[in-house]
Amino acid sequence: METIHQPQFPSDLTAVHVALFIDVFNAAALKARIVRAATLTGPEGDAEREALNFAFVDASLITSALHLQTAISQASLAAAQNTLRTKTVHSEILWALCPTNNISEAIRRYGISDTSKALFVVRVDSASVGDVEERMRGVVEGRVVPLSTLAELVDWQAVKKYNKLNTEPAVKKAANVDAEHAIIDNIVISSVASKGVMA
Amino acid sequence: MASSSTTPLTPTQVLLKSATIVSQGAEAKVYKAYLRHHGLGKTAISTRTGTGDVSDVQNNESSGSELDVAPVLIKYRFPKQYRHPSLDGSLTRARVAGEARALLRCLRSGVQVPGIRFVDATEGVLGIEWIDGKSVRMLLPGGAEAEDDEGVGPGDDEQVDEAEDEADEVDPLVEFGVSRDQLMSMIGTEIAKMHQADIIHGDLTTSNMMLRRETGDLALIDFGLAYHSTLTEDKAVDLYVLERAFGSTHPDSEPMFSSVLEAYQKYMGKDWNVVKKRLEDVRLRGRKRSMVG
Repeated sequence: METIHQPQFPSDLTAVHVALFIDVFNAAALKARIVRAATLTGPEGDAEREALNFAFVDASLITSALHLQTAISQASLAAAQNTLRTKTVHSEILWALCPTNNISEAIRRYGISDTSKALFVVRVDSASVGDVEERMRGVVEGRVVPLSTLAELVDWQAVKKYNKLNTEPAVKKAANVDAEHAIIDNIVISSVASKGVMA
Repeated sequence: MASSSTTPLTPTQVLLKSATIVSQGAEAKVYKAYLRHHGLGKTAISTRTGTGDVSDVQNNESSGSELDVAPVLIKYRFPKQYRHPSLDGSLTRARVAGEARALLRCLRSGVQVPGIRFVDATEGVLGIEWIDGKSVRMLLPGGAEAEDDEGVGPGDDEQVDEAEDEADEVDPLVEFGVSRDQLMSMIGTEIAKMHQADIIHGDLTTSNMMLRRETGDLALIDFGLAYHSTLTEDKAVDLYVLERAFGSTHPDSEPMFSSVLEAYQKYMGKDWNVVKKRLEDVRLRGRKRSMVG
């Protein structure tokens, strides 16, 4: 797990914990659990929601760590300015990643799905919160790997499709696969960063 | 200014406090900043206080993290006191959005421009990829003179002394592994790519182009005046503005500008003829069209 510090934000948003899980085998159950947690009431519901208080991001659509970090920054900014378009800073991360403005589509595509094998688990919180990795491991059944493992997990075809990049000159003219991936990465990062002003 | 010190600063204001200023113009200030840090707990980081004192934590390199630690360039369109606040707010938002949109269009069309990294339109902030390199203006003869009255391109700050020994006839281009002719042809090609995507830069000068130190690639910067247009007139005027900029900053610029046009022509193909004709018209009358008749 990596911890990133965003000192510019209010204290409840300064610490970002990110872990990459692969070989996840409880995706379907986890997704069902998240859906169920939303409707639970009383202290039991609060406890369950707290246990699942993470952003679960399907890793196959994330082109680089910076891509995810950009979405986290923009989501934190929206939270700090009280301009969240979704209910929490964690769902806002999924919304920031999605090229369209449709929240349920964002959650469906970029969030956990029954077939997810690799997941980013993200927690945006204050720096004082402890044992975050323990708690992530308690929810996701899989292996925690270094974030650089991401390079092998990206589904570039899906990234191109969702971001409508197949017909773009920049992508078509790329000299080789590595150059193409670098260009796509730069475009998707820029789209995430500027999503709020694109309208 | 007179803002009370008790109001907590917004995240973007805190970020700007921790940033180093690179240059300042009438429209915006340019900073170098880090959006995030690693190695939490290693350093006591003073977080937000009422006065917004933030120690500039620069322990990025030492933390051994594999995450991105690259700096960003922040273009901050500060509030203008001479405008009504609500007008100022909407103008600033529109301009940040416009610049971001132009950059994204360029990226998608394969024009070499810096990527966008952070946008806070309410505060007038656009964060873009930090380009390590020098502006083309500094790399051509005559460009290093009187540099303090012009907007300085990012990365130029440490280069001033070096550029001033220009009398020694050391071509600063050598360290980038690019010849002057290659540079001119890259300029022509990038502008042609941009025009093919129907983007007009609006302020083409040699200071608004940078050569990347690592790759020797050319990147166009400062899309603050950019707009979308399919008109030949606008493309011709864009070129004419560059021609004038070349002429006024660099001595003996004619051969340089003609190699720019040569590369432009090569990339534009059959679209070149109309632009060429229009450019000749524009040269005769200047960049503004006569409103008479």
